[in-house]
Amino acid sequence: MHARYLRTLKFDELELASRRTFFRVTDEDLARLASLRSFAEKHTEAIVEAFYELLLGHPETAKFFSDELAVKHVKKLQRDYFLQLFDGRCDLAYVENRLRVGAAHERIGLAPKWYLGAYRRYLEVVREQLFKTFPSDEARASMESITRIVFFDMSIAIDTYIAANLETIGRHQLAIRELSTPVIRVHERILLMPLIGTIDSLRANQIMDALLLRVVEEQARFVIVDIAGVPVVDTKVADSLLKTTAAVRMLGAQVILTGISAPIARTLVQLGVDVSSMHTCARLQEGIELALQLAGKVIVDREKGGAP
Amino acid sequence: MIGTVPILKIGRTLLVSIQIELSDAVAEGMQNDVLAALERTNAKGIVVDISGFDTVDTYVARILAETAKMAKLMGARSVLVGMRPEVAATLVRMGYTMDDVQFALNLDEGLALLGHVIPR
Repeated sequence: MHARYLRTLKFDELELASRRTFFRVTDEDLARLASLRSFAEKHTEAIVEAFYELLLGHPETAKFFSDELAVKHVKKLQRDYFLQLFDGRCDLAYVENRLRVGAAHERIGLAPKWYLGAYRRYLEVVREQLFKTFPSDEARASMESITRIVFFDMSIAIDTYIAANLETIGRHQLAIRELSTPVIRVHERILLMPLIGTIDSLRANQIMDALLLRVVEEQARFVIVDIAGVPVVDTKVADSLLKTTAAVRMLGAQVILTGISAPIARTLVQLGVDVSSMHTCARLQEGIELALQLAGKVIVDREKGGAP
Repeated sequence: MIGTVPILKIGRTLLVSIQIELSDAVAEGMQNDVLAALERTNAKGIVVDISGFDTVDTYVARILAETAKMAKLMGARSVLVGMRPEVAATLVRMGYTMDDVQFALNLDEGLALLGHVIPR
């Protein structure tokens, strides 16, 4: 998953170098972080405890940690995470590791605000311990190096949140595209395309392409296009319907337009749209009956004894 | 001959099956050949199969439409059959809807439209 994000974010050596420069993560900082390793190991336990005290003490973040076992598990992960800050490395492998953290948060639905807020606590405790342990000059320099790598980390985590969201949006767009052009076979060689929602020019094109493809696939002779669910029929929508009708005709099939309400009829006439090239009906039911009739078939009411 | 379109006669119908991309010159040649065949055979219908077309430009489309009109003057009805979806979409987007030409989904239906009954 994180490797995919690395690609989505276009995170390569070039991006790494650029970001390190901007966050001032120098080799000197990395060396200083590595030298702080033993300090970090000594205080890991206290820092991680303080971190979870904050998270578990807040009702909205506490619910992410269901039970003791889960807490124990994340504390272990947190210890590893913390110590990796002091590996003295900042390469692509490090970035990939950090991406995983953001991805994990995204997966469980932990919003960036909690992540950032909790990180602040982290720094608070680290600062306390640093100034207790080292002379203030050294503590200040160490704190600066830690701040740099931490901010670098945060930028990656935020990027991961965004990448994950973009993926979700992409999936939704695909689903919407598929849902927006449904073509249903209602009878032998009779198709129905119920249109629901606003039709913009992009969707109008999709509608035409999807419909033409299905007409040929199914060798359909009649296509019922139901526009009862289209809120606004303006000149553009009318024009796209006319184009679709013309294209369907060139394939050798016919369009029956149904679901024409009074306001739509009024609009079409007032706009001066000539829809005489298509069959039109007020209701879908009539459209289906018309298609069957044109195909030489009838729906018979058995109760009334046969002939229509 | 390279680049000509075969014209077959079935009963009183001419069958023109275009299986190559039509260049302007070949399209014009086809128009001449169809009209000449019409004169010779006194056919009453023409079915033009264009299922081999991936693309079509307005010039070729116009030649096809004009051929249909000319044939009508000579007393024959024309049907274009088997147009591909992408070709129809392209023509419509270019604003060319071939309003005075008849279409059918496939050869069977084209022949049926002209009153040919194909025994099954």
